[in-house]
Amino acid sequence: MQFSLKVVDKTLVATLEGELDLHKSPEFKEEITMLFNQHPEIRYLIMDVERMTFIDSSGLGVILGRFKELQTRGGKLYFVNANPRIRRILQLSGFERISSFKKSTDEVLSQVRGAK
Amino acid sequence: MTDKNWVKIEFASDTKNVAFARTALALFASQLDWTLDEIEDIKVAVSEAVSNSVIHGYELQEGVIKLEASYEEDILTISIEDFGKGITDIAQAKETGYSSIPEERMGLGFTFMHEYMDEVVVLSEIQKGTKVTMNKKVQAQEGS
Ligand SMILES: Nc1ncnc2c1ncn2[C@@H]1O[C@H](COP(=O)(O)OP(=O)(O)O)[C@@H](O)[C@H]1O
Ligand SMILES: [Mg+2]
Repeated sequence: MQFSLKVVDKTLVATLEGELDLHKSPEFKEEITMLFNQHPEIRYLIMDVERMTFIDSSGLGVILGRFKELQTRGGKLYFVNANPRIRRILQLSGFERISSFKKSTDEVLSQVRGAK
Repeated sequence: MTDKNWVKIEFASDTKNVAFARTALALFASQLDWTLDEIEDIKVAVSEAVSNSVIHGYELQEGVIKLEASYEEDILTISIEDFGKGITDIAQAKETGYSSIPEERMGLGFTFMHEYMDEVVVLSEIQKGTKVTMNKKVQAQEGS
């Protein structure tokens, strides 16, 4: 698993590539938490999962945990480019109730910019 | 003649071996006629069971995990066994959303195993270990 993290205004964009499981989850968690702490202005978390090939409950748990950190600031979680498989596991774990599925990062960025 | 085969693998309880286990198992399972989605389902189930052994059974300390898989005709059987701390209350452990580490984990491992496999049987004894056995039948596919 490789991931890149980028802060754009009030949004943290996480781009994932490969498999997110128990092995990589702690590092992923720490780096996101660190950025949240460095950037108190962050309100939105975008998970670009187009090139994520595998996720299980350990990976999902880390995403949920980051969303909870963001929730204390009134934040929102978005998944972009989720293929039907990833959508299914996200639905099974209740993410459709707490996040939005979007087609592209740009779509979310312009939306949250409009919302201010 | 019935078509059958089996494998047994032992490996160290290490977070790195979660990916090894699900990939090795997917390779073995591919000898049967699954759809790509079904192979992915099997990978999730194996990943959950092995992760549980690593994180709960051995609490990230050293240990041995045994993975056995076999099929006969169109039924695949997988078992994952550890010799770790065991489960006190199996019914509670299987509840959707129950985790003994709720701050970090979602309590969805057993839920995913049940969702993605046909049958899941858990045997566990305190301080002796846990064995999860799952099976899944190949669905008849059109044109085959
Ligand atoms: N191999 C195991 N050894 C000991 N306890 C286990 C094992 N597998 C599962 N458990 C227990 O069952 C609970 C539920 O497991 P699971 O549904 O995978 O959720 P999670 O892993 O998110 O906690 C775990 O929190 C743990 O207490
Ligand atoms: Mg689990």
